[in-house]
Amino acid sequence: MNLAENPFAKDISGRAAPHAVSPRGNDPRLYSAAWERAGHRVSQGLRPEPRDLIESPARPLRSLAFLMSVLGLGTVLGIGSAALIVERERPFATTSIGPWSASPTAGTAEADPYSVAIYTRSARVPLALGEGLALTAYTDSVGQSLSPACTYRITGSTPTARMWTLSAATAKGEMVETLAGRTFLTSLGLLRADDGTFTVTASRAPSSGNWLPLARQPQALEGLSFTFRLYDAPVTTGASLEGAVMPRIEKVACR
Amino acid sequence: MSILLPTRLRLGLGALAVLALSVVVHVLVILAIPRQATHSSYSEAATFGPDRQFNLLPPLRAGAEPLPGLDPAMKHATCRYQLDNGPVLFTASVPVPFWSIGLFDDTGEVIYSLNNRTAGSDILSMLLITPEQLSILRENPPEDLDKLIVIETRASRGFALLRALSPAAARDLEVDLALKTAYCGSFS
Repeated sequence: MNLAENPFAKDISGRAAPHAVSPRGNDPRLYSAAWERAGHRVSQGLRPEPRDLIESPARPLRSLAFLMSVLGLGTVLGIGSAALIVERERPFATTSIGPWSASPTAGTAEADPYSVAIYTRSARVPLALGEGLALTAYTDSVGQSLSPACTYRITGSTPTARMWTLSAATAKGEMVETLAGRTFLTSLGLLRADDGTFTVTASRAPSSGNWLPLARQPQALEGLSFTFRLYDAPVTTGASLEGAVMPRIEKVACR
Repeated sequence: MSILLPTRLRLGLGALAVLALSVVVHVLVILAIPRQATHSSYSEAATFGPDRQFNLLPPLRAGAEPLPGLDPAMKHATCRYQLDNGPVLFTASVPVPFWSIGLFDDTGEVIYSLNNRTAGSDILSMLLITPEQLSILRENPPEDLDKLIVIETRASRGFALLRALSPAAARDLEVDLALKTAYCGSFS
């Protein structure tokens, strides 16, 4: 076979004898210019660096290390991101009203894989649609994360329900010790204004009116969440939650 | 590899490979968790007492919650069942303003749920049955079958969670008793 007619001959010769590419001086520009003179088309972005032009002996250990670090990093990132989401124990909300979010499909066949993983791992029993709907807030109405060291005022009204309970817990939904020994309020013994709206004060220290006790010893790391559980509520599907109104959460003071 | 690819391209491809691999691993981990979970709500329900009877859950306290995410305002009772031993009948009469019951399979998925308004009466009577058992039952139906809420399911294992709101502390004992005496067992 005639080498001159082989269109790849130039490539082959260029690679086989890289030292022919004039390694005069150490200026990288000289290298790549010589590379181009030798007939190679080199785009600006992929212009080879000098060390790539000099044929180096095969380095199996280096290739292996590269491959292993890709595998290791990919596995660690994949498992880490999954663990972060599952350990946070906060199912992706499908509907939200202001700071209040609900996942009505949790625990049903239509649930997303994340909430299935979260619910089965934490052995959590969802509130089924025939029972009621749980709405949880992790932030106040301004969007700031709730803190157990602060006092909050929850004002307004809820969507229609036969009855509801409001409870305070950590951001993961765990119960905390309070001065009153309870961590909830129910709609049964609630003080309401003439127009049917209510004001709940969530604080560590006892408060007049509707008092929702918060943790006696607040741990900032544990966070705070409020959960409304509306029992026997017509708003049990995501669609009918649109236009529904939930109470506002305002921060009063922190200490 | 180290000869044929420029360093920058090699690093870029490496980063891309890491990203693709981490996405695959992430999805696999999320999908595998429900199968690998060693303590599901179904297995936790066994710790409260024998199967096929309602067991009252201990009161919810900070640091000692029987099951996570339950409403602290409510009182709860669970009954774990296996349908292989025949259909399961649930009956309860809880004198409170609100109670509800949810039936879950062993993966924690809801089979059926109702509350004291949708139940139509203050007394709960519900029969959980597999389609095969129902066709056998229909050949020789008992008289009170039409008074029961009959629920067909293919999941042979699961548990029921009965929730009741105690309207006042003074009535806690009465509610506890009603939950404890709720029936969950064989249908004859």
